[in-house]
Amino acid sequence: MTVTALALATAVAACGGTTVKVGAGSAVKGQPERGGTVTVAEVSGASPNDIFPLTPATNENGYNIDLTEGEWPNLVYIGDGANSVVNPKESLYSSLTWSDNDSVITIVLKSWKWSDGTPITSRDFTFVYNLLKANYNDWISYLPGLFPADVTKVETPDTHTVVIHLNRSYNPDFYVDDVLYYVPLMPQHAWDKTSLTGAVGNYDQTKSGATAVWNFLQKQGADMATFATNPLWKVVDGPWKVSEFQSDGYYAQVPNTSYSGSAKPTLSKVISTPFTTDAAEMDTLRSGTTLTVAPLPLNDVGQIGELKSEGYSVASVPTPGVAEIVPNLWNAKAGPLLKQLYIRQALEYQINRQQIVTDVFHGYADPGNGAVPTTYGQQFASPLEKSGGPYPYSPSKAEALLKAHGWKVTPNGTDICQQPGAGASDCGAGVTAGEKLQFQLLYASGSADYDQMNAAIQTSEAQAGIHITLKAEPFNTLVATTSTCNAQSHPASTCNNWQLQQFGYQPYSVDPNGSGIFNTDAVDNYGGYSSPQMDQLVNETEYGSDSSAFFAYEDYAAQQLPWLWLPNQDTVFVYKSNLAGFTPASPFDFTLNPEVWYYVKPAS
Amino acid sequence: MTWYLIRRAGQSIAVLIGVMILTFLLLHLEPGSVARSVLGLKATPARVAIFDSLYGLNKPLYQQFDIYIKQIFQGNLGVSYQLQQPVSSLIAQRLPRDAILLGLSTLLALVIGVPTGIYQAARHNRLADDLLAGTWFTLYSAPDFMEALLLIALLCVQFHVFPPAFPGSVNSVGGLFADWPALVLPVTVLSVNSVAGFSQYVRSTALQTLAEDYIRVVRAKGLPERLVLTRHVLRNSLLPVITILGLSLPDIVAGAVIAESVFNFPGMGLLFWQSALAHDFPVMLGGTLVIGAATVLGNLAADVAYGVLDPRIRYAGA
Repeated sequence: MTVTALALATAVAACGGTTVKVGAGSAVKGQPERGGTVTVAEVSGASPNDIFPLTPATNENGYNIDLTEGEWPNLVYIGDGANSVVNPKESLYSSLTWSDNDSVITIVLKSWKWSDGTPITSRDFTFVYNLLKANYNDWISYLPGLFPADVTKVETPDTHTVVIHLNRSYNPDFYVDDVLYYVPLMPQHAWDKTSLTGAVGNYDQTKSGATAVWNFLQKQGADMATFATNPLWKVVDGPWKVSEFQSDGYYAQVPNTSYSGSAKPTLSKVISTPFTTDAAEMDTLRSGTTLTVAPLPLNDVGQIGELKSEGYSVASVPTPGVAEIVPNLWNAKAGPLLKQLYIRQALEYQINRQQIVTDVFHGYADPGNGAVPTTYGQQFASPLEKSGGPYPYSPSKAEALLKAHGWKVTPNGTDICQQPGAGASDCGAGVTAGEKLQFQLLYASGSADYDQMNAAIQTSEAQAGIHITLKAEPFNTLVATTSTCNAQSHPASTCNNWQLQQFGYQPYSVDPNGSGIFNTDAVDNYGGYSSPQMDQLVNETEYGSDSSAFFAYEDYAAQQLPWLWLPNQDTVFVYKSNLAGFTPASPFDFTLNPEVWYYVKPAS
Repeated sequence: MTWYLIRRAGQSIAVLIGVMILTFLLLHLEPGSVARSVLGLKATPARVAIFDSLYGLNKPLYQQFDIYIKQIFQGNLGVSYQLQQPVSSLIAQRLPRDAILLGLSTLLALVIGVPTGIYQAARHNRLADDLLAGTWFTLYSAPDFMEALLLIALLCVQFHVFPPAFPGSVNSVGGLFADWPALVLPVTVLSVNSVAGFSQYVRSTALQTLAEDYIRVVRAKGLPERLVLTRHVLRNSLLPVITILGLSLPDIVAGAVIAESVFNFPGMGLLFWQSALAHDFPVMLGGTLVIGAATVLGNLAADVAYGVLDPRIRYAGA
């Protein structure tokens, strides 16, 4: 099976005898210019600190990809304009086919070259594979049980063909979108060594050798002082090279003039400059300085008009992931209540998601209709989710559900169970007579948006007599407290100290299935949800070939509420109005593709 | 004096060791897993095990402390869990910048505050004294973040006189001075509160000094008032300033979180604040050690300065 995707639409504009090829649909009009510097603001904590493209497992800095993706792009390129789809034109392979009941992948690499002129070959893939096979537990992108642990054999019948034999059949879309998407190519001819001065060999072909190379490259990759000077990092296959790097996060990239891909950079330099706080970034934008691109804090959306008068345009991009409140189904006090589906349904009915989108996120958010976002990756959104999800805001339905299960509902008070028992019209197993319907919601502090959203939830739940108390903790404290919990660790005492938690959002890969989240043995199943039917549905999205399996999983998850669904805020950017190619953009390639950006002279 | 200094140095070392032990224990009493906190939501048991092994967190507490102490005596403050850089490098990047920023603001405050305090004492209970005191107290009572934001709104956004933030490319002391316009506002904001403190301390001491018999004597001898103030009153009025300066040294080392946040100045204050939120123990321990050292050094320097300024002061055993 060949992975297909929409072809990249390109616009070709004449520019003094040169041709500028850019991403589709740029709204900026004018005469394209070659050259120029773009300065991108880095929000607080968004500075990369590792340049080795196979980031170690102990480094959780998600911004390293901003640095590495432009130098060593992954095998699979996701993003075609605003569409979150595989883009074969920008990917490193010319064909990717599945065979043997979707257990064998044959990849034919494009005839590209490294920046030093050496051809990219299948040996570069086996180099990556060998390093990972020996060290995958120390790779941040390793998904338990998947690549390379699930590979039984890799063959290279010629210099551009790689055949990967897997230990079972997979859903090809899942495997390409969520697994191969994280695998880059690396220059074996330059990096297969164990010291800077040592000779290049075939060290990766033994386990000990691969570990020695891995350790060497990891150590070099963490040495921020040499990111721009280390000869290792000068050999790239992406459109950019690092030309300056400071350990506080300031860095500059210049075009790789030998880049083999079609979207060759037009700009002469891209600078990323760090800011300590959102306020400092906003002051800089408002004072009309040289920032070209900057993420806009949602609290400052009200200043868009002023920024437009300073020459900026605005773009928003959905955040890949799902925002949620996680119910702890095993908490000794709240667990028996939260295990009742009707109570989770009542909680969800009382969340006015549309109001949160409008009033808290100023319209820049996915509505959170279920487990799958509806504002990007339209191919994954089921009709049920597109129509608003199974639980649109409805206080009357929430109240009816509670009354039908034996609760005395006291709006703006606290509901009390009047009819204990496990029958269809009772409060449910484990819920005692006189028990109050009240929970504590633990959430990540430091975000005014989350403060507002949770206050709104607290108020609306109170209208149905569901009493929520709010407790904010720093994100890292919250994570340290709650992320040790999964279906296996419950009901251990360490998982008993929270009832509901809201930490932000659960990031998704391109294919937003519930693997690793809602299945019983999932690492991220913090609330301890367990359902054989959910396990089966998740497995079918991962291993099956039935294209309807995804919607079946999605609708079941939306209805069963392993988590309570919330709106997920977008990322809003401002960019200089004379910068073209910035939009449209997919959530998966947004700030990573300045190769399609270019300046225009205003049309006279 | 020498014996006194040796004794104080010994005390300082004991204090530092005490600070290290206490901080180490307190930090490790925090609830929750450090590895989970740092690695975040995607931490698998394998990753947690690698993390704990890498940083020795799987060892008993006493062994971790033993390793920590040995590292310190080798000049190694460990590696930041969050930033993945040596703590000594992080401190070395930020400390000189903070020393410049806070040193300049302290210097500016001294230059304005000390003469003003003397002037106010000389004009005691007159209009000038009242006006200056009112001005300083008004500025002192205004929060520094509000002063910073007002100055930015006026001088950066409205009139574009100064840049509102330090350029991200500045990473050296030389770079700070090359971009001197970016220093003007943070130095001004940080010095405002200190001016009030210095001037009022100096004013108060100068008033006491002016009432001393020896001042009456020199005045009776016909010494011009200018020389009375500069030769006799000023020197004696500096003693409380020395105390404040000595206590300011740890503040300079600890940075200024608000100014650093508002003016995009990545200094020690923000480093420690963010490391505290992120459970980044090596940075917190390194920071505590440096601030502790600055505290004992500041006090020691103040004691020595007392003796230099006032030869009547002699320490026991000196």
